[in-house]
Amino acid sequence: MDGFGVTFAFWVLAAITLISASGVMYSRNLFHAVLFLILTFIGVAGFFVLLSAEFIAMAQVIIYVGAIAVLVLFAVLLTPRASRDNAETRMALPGALLAVCLAAVFLFVIHDTGWKTTAEPPAISTSDLGNALLEIWVLPFLLASVLLTAALIGAIMLTRSAEEEAEDALL
Amino acid sequence: MTGAIKSEPFVINIGPQHPSTHGVFRIRATVDGEKVIDAEMVMGYLHRSMEKLAEERTYTQNIPFTDRTDYLSSMSNNLGYCLAVEKLAGIEVPARGNAIRVIMAELQRLASHCMAIGAFANDTGAWQTPVMWAFREREKILDIFEVTSGARLTCNYMRIGGVAFDLRTPFEPMVRQVLADLPPFIDEMENLLSGNEIFISRTRGIGVLSPEMATNASLSGPMLRGSGIAWDLRKADPYCGYEQYDFAIPIGYRGDSYDRFIVRLEEMRQSVKIVRQALDGLPTGPFRTEVPLALRPPSGEAYARIESPRGELGYYLVSDGGPSPFRFHIRPPSFINLSALKEMTVGGTVADAIVVLGSVDLVVGEIDR
Amino acid sequence: MMPFLASDKWYDLRDLSNISREILEGADRVLPFGIVYVLAALLGFVASFLIFVLPSQLFVGVYGERKLIGRIQSRYGPNRVGPFGLLQPIADAIKLIQKEALTPTRSDRVVMYIAPLFFVAPAVLLFAVIPFGPNMIFADVPVSLMYFLAISSLPVLANFMAGWSANNKYSLFGAIRIVAMTISYETPLVMSLLGAVVIAGTLNLQGMVLWADEYKIWLGFVTPLALVIYFICVSAELNRTPTDIAEAESEIVAGYLTEYSGMKWGLFYGMDIGYAIAASAFAVTVFLGGWTLFGLEQWVPPWLIFIGKTHLFYMLFIWTRGTLPRLRSDQLMAFAWKFLLPLALFNLFIVATERMIWAEEGYPDAYVYLFAMFNILVSILLLFFWADFNGYKPGDTPTRPRLVKEPRGYVPVEEQL
Repeated sequence: MDGFGVTFAFWVLAAITLISASGVMYSRNLFHAVLFLILTFIGVAGFFVLLSAEFIAMAQVIIYVGAIAVLVLFAVLLTPRASRDNAETRMALPGALLAVCLAAVFLFVIHDTGWKTTAEPPAISTSDLGNALLEIWVLPFLLASVLLTAALIGAIMLTRSAEEEAEDALL
Repeated sequence: MTGAIKSEPFVINIGPQHPSTHGVFRIRATVDGEKVIDAEMVMGYLHRSMEKLAEERTYTQNIPFTDRTDYLSSMSNNLGYCLAVEKLAGIEVPARGNAIRVIMAELQRLASHCMAIGAFANDTGAWQTPVMWAFREREKILDIFEVTSGARLTCNYMRIGGVAFDLRTPFEPMVRQVLADLPPFIDEMENLLSGNEIFISRTRGIGVLSPEMATNASLSGPMLRGSGIAWDLRKADPYCGYEQYDFAIPIGYRGDSYDRFIVRLEEMRQSVKIVRQALDGLPTGPFRTEVPLALRPPSGEAYARIESPRGELGYYLVSDGGPSPFRFHIRPPSFINLSALKEMTVGGTVADAIVVLGSVDLVVGEIDR
Repeated sequence: MMPFLASDKWYDLRDLSNISREILEGADRVLPFGIVYVLAALLGFVASFLIFVLPSQLFVGVYGERKLIGRIQSRYGPNRVGPFGLLQPIADAIKLIQKEALTPTRSDRVVMYIAPLFFVAPAVLLFAVIPFGPNMIFADVPVSLMYFLAISSLPVLANFMAGWSANNKYSLFGAIRIVAMTISYETPLVMSLLGAVVIAGTLNLQGMVLWADEYKIWLGFVTPLALVIYFICVSAELNRTPTDIAEAESEIVAGYLTEYSGMKWGLFYGMDIGYAIAASAFAVTVFLGGWTLFGLEQWVPPWLIFIGKTHLFYMLFIWTRGTLPRLRSDQLMAFAWKFLLPLALFNLFIVATERMIWAEEGYPDAYVYLFAMFNILVSILLLFFWADFNGYKPGDTPTRPRLVKEPRGYVPVEEQL
């Protein structure tokens, strides 16, 4: 895990991620905030690659950037212009307070945990991941799919027009 | 959980600059999401005040004006006008003149329908491939027109009492060649387009016009026949000797854009039949009766109508005994056909409105005159 | 004759990785530590994009496409600029560069500048994982198929940004529709690729090509339905006819590209083609055997085989573009969700069952040919059956109108003539 390349990449990715995360908070325009969010997601994907978890990195880009960011963009673009202002609100001070408390909690936990480090990451291939998902963790996997199906059905129900509901009524 | 999402309609302009080739014509459509809930036509971008200008010119000098109303079927326009003047002045046309008129009118119908089906397929999105193929055939017909009358598009060939010039020698072989080339082309278009699943799903059920609506809106031409109403002026009110020729009237099933398309294709086949019969039985003799240069028909009025490629094209002439008409009015088929546009487009999407416009086959020169 | 085997020498052109390896090793000795990575990146960019892709894009994409579409439309393509019109792409590029790139005053300039970047970068990045030969991959990531899927979801954002930055209500709605179409075609795309992954057993593109080499059969024969679904979905992602509501009359008034002119538009257009070539290269790698050709790759340089196959697959795109009309956007999305997605799921089910039977019973390798024939048959039957089940009955449509001889008013449909 050592090496000039890895360290250089780590610092560059950290800079990109943190700068875009602060861009999400500080940009006035909601659309720009979403674009910075996309950059943050890509930075996190880069971190996954550094940790040799390429599958998770690609999954992060596909899911977060390809689907969730697009969803957020849809939501942003369909709101009227007036509410697209990402400016400061009255909740800025309580928000900052909450962020400081959370940061404190994180720092204490990080400091007190006994981190184990290894020289070489364990070589986990995608097939090992697949086996784990379908053997050890099959219950959370299936529960997640049930949750997603419920979300799908809910979305379809929300957008049905009156005629379609009348067509499919049980009577 | 209905009514949770509110959407607000907004107005968009379709035209006057079209991506598809229908001329300067504008529809103000009120669109709610995807569906069109109201369509209002705005016309007049191509108004050239032909009817007023015609009052200053003699009857023969007005013939080039009629070329330019429906510029895609100039022979038919000329024919209608000459028929009106002949009715007004009581002039007889010799048999050869009538036969040549029929050949020219039917060739013009072929050329105009080539353009119509090409442009219609273009509207559904096939990137100019059908247009190019249809224009290849249309070029042959336009070459025939050039040989006969000197011009390809605005032919100015019919005269009061007959036609302007006699047929030249290259005429017959060229027409025979076209008659041989066209039926395979029509079959090819049928294969490629009428059987194409994407084309069918774009045009079937789009712009449905019920027969009651079609008759009430006084439509004519392929629009009327597409709704299943068998009415063709060449059979119902024959002119120029059409009663001697044997042809059929194609009618559609449901009155949607697909039906109008196949009606036009079939009309092309029937036109080929008519031209072949007319050419085979072309009588000899004079091709025009002599009329004075400044014809002064007796005062009165006359209305003559023909079946142009777009529908019933009518000319209403009022004469006061002078060399120019007192009133010259054109009944344009495209203009009257458009009165059903709202009924056809409301309820569909904007893309459907474009397809419907393509199936109406309008020429703005005729609408605005 | 014994086939030539590509050797290790730098001048052996059949394996171009020799050249890059020699350059990088030489540079490593000379340059300070770390700079060789930058050099490797640059070399990869030059080799994969500038030398292979950009000429393909210009000559096959711009010139070839226009010539071929011209011929389909019974006209000559470009034939004025240069001999046979070969310099046409260069003329296009010069025209676009010297054009004034107008920016509307109230648009969002920064986003408008960035949107073409977001469109160009994925098209370039895609070529990093595509194997041009046995040793000629720029970055042999173990999950390169997922890399392709990840990168292909990025141009969607570029479309969004382009549509939004124009400050124009119509281009915004056009962009939203296009994005909805693109993401709804991503699902059958992933499902169909999953079928191929199940058979090959690896997510690595080089691994798939080696699988094809080992079993002497292309994945496109073993899962033909996956290839067909991939073709349709990827031409929807690329906004090509019959699914190009992007370029066409989306609301008639505007598409998401209206406010772009000059080279910014040229970048969108060029990378459209570049992305299409990347998608073709990917299809060739996964489904059509990549750089192998049943043993021919030992005589002919494998990268030539690969480029030839890519261009041939790109011709399929051009062919459908010149021939088919366009679907309406709601019909498009219904097609993706109701027709393609269940088909892809059926395909996955069949392929996974076969693979399980094959692996668990320990059948010999020749069974894959049996599976291929069975799959081809089942795919054709499934396509027809599923289309029929969904109500696509083209035979029901009458292609000739009714004919009557006498005019008489309305003729009801039921009346016999």
